[in-house]
Amino acid sequence: MSNLSPHSEMLLSEFRKIRPQLEQLLEGIYAYLNSVLKEQGVELNAFEYRVKTEKSLAGKLERKGDKYHCLYDITDLVGLRIVTFYTDDVDKVAAIVKRIFDIDWQNSVDKRKLHELTSFGYNSLHYICRLRGDQRVVDCTSDTANMPFEIQMRTALQHAWSAIEHDIGYKGAVKLPGELRRQFSRLAGMLELADDEFSRLRITMTEYRRQVEALVKSGKLSDVPLSTDSFRSYLELHPFERLNHHIAAVNQAEIYPASLMAFLPLLESFGLETLDDVQQFIADNSEDAYQLALSQLAVTDIDILSESIGLLNLCLVYVLKHNGGRDGLRNVYDTINGTDRSNEVLADAVLELAKSLSFG
Amino acid sequence: MNTTIQKIDGNMVVMLEGRLDTAASPETEKAMQPLYNCENQNIIIDCTKLEYISSSGLRIFLSVLKNTKPKGCHVFISGLNDDLHQVFAMTGFTNLFEFK
Repeated sequence: MSNLSPHSEMLLSEFRKIRPQLEQLLEGIYAYLNSVLKEQGVELNAFEYRVKTEKSLAGKLERKGDKYHCLYDITDLVGLRIVTFYTDDVDKVAAIVKRIFDIDWQNSVDKRKLHELTSFGYNSLHYICRLRGDQRVVDCTSDTANMPFEIQMRTALQHAWSAIEHDIGYKGAVKLPGELRRQFSRLAGMLELADDEFSRLRITMTEYRRQVEALVKSGKLSDVPLSTDSFRSYLELHPFERLNHHIAAVNQAEIYPASLMAFLPLLESFGLETLDDVQQFIADNSEDAYQLALSQLAVTDIDILSESIGLLNLCLVYVLKHNGGRDGLRNVYDTINGTDRSNEVLADAVLELAKSLSFG
Repeated sequence: MNTTIQKIDGNMVVMLEGRLDTAASPETEKAMQPLYNCENQNIIIDCTKLEYISSSGLRIFLSVLKNTKPKGCHVFISGLNDDLHQVFAMTGFTNLFEFK
C-alpha cells in the first residue's frame, strides 16, 4: 500500500503522463549539449543522462512531497551528468552551460565550495537549468519544454568518490565516529590534491609540447630529446619524404599515408637520443635504404607504397650495417607489425637480398 | 578469381581464391562492396587460396580498411603465403593491417 499523500499521488500520476515528453526533452538537451561540447573540444570521461525513475520519484515524494506544489518544482526529473578528466574542464563545461541555458541560481549549488574547514566530502557542481524561450532543441509541448533540468558536472575522481560514497552508504548528515571522519577526510583531501595535480600536469605537458614544437620548427634539433611528442612534431616536417619519393620513382608509385609512430621504439633502441641523431641517421643511411628498396621493387610492377617505406628500409639498413643479423631484422618487423613467426621469413628474405648489396 | 563473403561467429569472412591481378580487381572490388556497410565488426580477409596480388589488389584491401576502420571495424588478413607476405612487407603495408 502506498504511503503517499493524495497530493503526492496526483504528482506521480501527472509524471506518468508526461514521462514520454520528458524523455524527448532529455534526448534533445543531450544531443544539443553534446554537440556544443564537441565543438568546443572538451574531452569527456562520461556523459550520462536519465529521466528520474517512478520509484525514485515516489521515494522523494514520500520524504518531502508537501514541499512541491507541482512537478515543475522538482528540479531533477530530467538529469544529465557530465564527467570530465580535469578540474579546469568542469569550469569550462559550466561556462558553456551558463552560456547556452538559463540557470536557476537559487537552486543551483557548487558543492565544491560548501565544505567547512572541518568537514569532509568531495562533491560536484549542480546547475538547475531551463531551455531559453527561443531554443528549439526539442520537439515537445511548450509546457514540457519549460521543465527545469539538472546538470551535474564533476571530474572522474569526484565521480569515483561519489560512487564509492554511495556504495558505502554514507550520507554527509550521519554523525560518524572521529576516526572514521578522519579516514574520509584524508581520502577526500588526497583526491582533491590528485585532481589539482592532474590539471597542473596537463598544463605542464602542454607547455612542454609547445616548447618542443618551437624548437623543431626553428631547426634546433640537437636540443630536442627524442620522445613521443618531439617525434610527432618532427614528422610534421616530413623528414622521410625525399627518400620516399626517391623509392616511389622506381615504379612511379603512389604513396599511401601511414602513421610512423610505431617506429619510435626502434629508433630509441638504436640509441638515437635527439632529433638531431634521427636527422643524422637519415643522412647516413638514405642511399643504402634506397638501394635495398630498389632491389626488391625493381623486379615488380607494384605502384603503391606505404608512407612508411623509407623509414622501414632505413631501419633495416641500420640493423644490417650494425651486424644485427636475422634477430635484429626480425626485431624490426616484430616492433612495427607485432610479433609473428612470419617475420622470420621476412628477415631471411632481407638477409638474402642484402648479400648482393655493398653494406650486406 | 572467386570472392565469397560469409558471416562466421559474428565475423565477416571474405575468402579469396585465385589470382587478384589487374584484370580480376574490378569484379573483386564489386564483390567486396557489402563489407563497406560493416560497423563494429571483425573483417577477416582469408587469403589461404590467394595465389597472387597486384597493386590493384592491394588498393582493394586498403579501400576496405579505409572505409571500415572509421566505423569501428578491425581488418585482419589471414592465411597469406610467404610470397604474398613479402609483397606486403616490401610495400610497407604490414603495419597497416593485422595479420592472423
